[in-house]
Amino acid sequence: MNGDTISLITQIIWLIIFILLITGLNTKIQMRIWAMDIRNKLNLIKRIIDEDRVRVEKMISNLGYQTPSVLVGRVLDFFTIEPVSIEPIDIIKRLDHMIRTSEATVRRFVESSLPNTGKFERSLVETSIEVLAGLNLIYKVIRHYLLTGEKENNWVLLMQLELLMPTIMRYVETYHMALDPFMSGKPVGDSVGPLVVYNLLEKSKVVSKRVIEDTSVFETWLEDRRVFFVKAEGPGSNVGHPGAVIRKLVEELKGNVDLIVTIDAALKLEGEETGSIAEGVGAAIGDPGPEKIAIERAAAEYGIPLRALIVKMDYREALTVMKKEIFEASRRAVDYVLKLIKEETKPNATVIVAGIGNTIGVPM
Amino acid sequence: MNTLDPYTLFMIVLTVLLIVYMYLETRKRPTRTEYVTRELLVCEGCGFQVERDFEPGDFIGLVKGKCPRCGRELKIKGIYSVDKSKVLKAS
Repeated sequence: MNGDTISLITQIIWLIIFILLITGLNTKIQMRIWAMDIRNKLNLIKRIIDEDRVRVEKMISNLGYQTPSVLVGRVLDFFTIEPVSIEPIDIIKRLDHMIRTSEATVRRFVESSLPNTGKFERSLVETSIEVLAGLNLIYKVIRHYLLTGEKENNWVLLMQLELLMPTIMRYVETYHMALDPFMSGKPVGDSVGPLVVYNLLEKSKVVSKRVIEDTSVFETWLEDRRVFFVKAEGPGSNVGHPGAVIRKLVEELKGNVDLIVTIDAALKLEGEETGSIAEGVGAAIGDPGPEKIAIERAAAEYGIPLRALIVKMDYREALTVMKKEIFEASRRAVDYVLKLIKEETKPNATVIVAGIGNTIGVPM
Repeated sequence: MNTLDPYTLFMIVLTVLLIVYMYLETRKRPTRTEYVTRELLVCEGCGFQVERDFEPGDFIGLVKGKCPRCGRELKIKGIYSVDKSKVLKAS
């Protein structure tokens, strides 16, 4: 190969690059490559959904319902419309109403399809279908943006989608993995709050127990204090209504509460250790708003110190089977809560301790 | 037949290396840890502890068997996932 040939090849390459640039063909080629990659990943998501749907339908048919696809299909596309936010008056009340109506409706769907099944199994079915609905929503949204990007030749949209795909695939994988604990009743990372309360209950002298709005309330004596423990009623998949219950409890006690402690799982920042514990002030609860504001209002109205304890984990760890590091953190958190109660209150004080999160696999 | 000049040879080697590198990069898969679910059984009497595989239907607080040391009840204290390789190593 002599110098002339090399020079010719170089000139042809530059010419091709020049033509691609001035005609915009390079962008079109790039768009095709992005679209192809997104479509491949979309097909993978579809395969995961189909596989998970078969698993959930099999679970339902094993519980005695002959046409599980009807129930799954109905819940899969179920939606809740957010209340109007440009008019803030009563927004919490309206949001709370929407959430409760949504929960009750899905529960009724499952109940009417599986009337002879226990509450525990029904809660697992409900959450499993909700996990599947989450996956289905991701699939539909990605497909929408892919088709819109292709139809409108919108390379910016496709580029953004392509860059977001690794993160989206991680969410898909997390939801896929979350199906295992919710189908078999194993505790998840988010169950750490109820688990801490359960372990504290084992150390306490229980005086009474009642269930309000799917939430268990225990009146106990612990470390010479009157301690009320609040957690979602287990061991089914249930988050309860701890905020509303705490507010009710504070009003019943006419504000004579010396301390409120909330314990919850919290998302860690990258670099932080899974299972590390941190304390702070405020209501540790990750609901859309109504439960959190109920706790804050009750504490603020009567001037009750509101303390929070969080156990750190990432998104995947919160939704999949509880890791050993988180379980060990729950044991440390028990001692932490005891220390907090002793430091912040005097003997005979009244304390409310709430374990926030899904109580799946954790009884009482 | 003309022999290749050093510049052309260098360019060919560089191109081949780049292609091999790109191929290896696309084949690279992140290593994934496999987890198994275990449960911790604790005797309320003598504090004896044993870790076993999770069985469907089990939940924390469930009484499961008798303590081999003192004969009292063994209770499930925790259900958690652990790295499969660590379990295999321990057993």
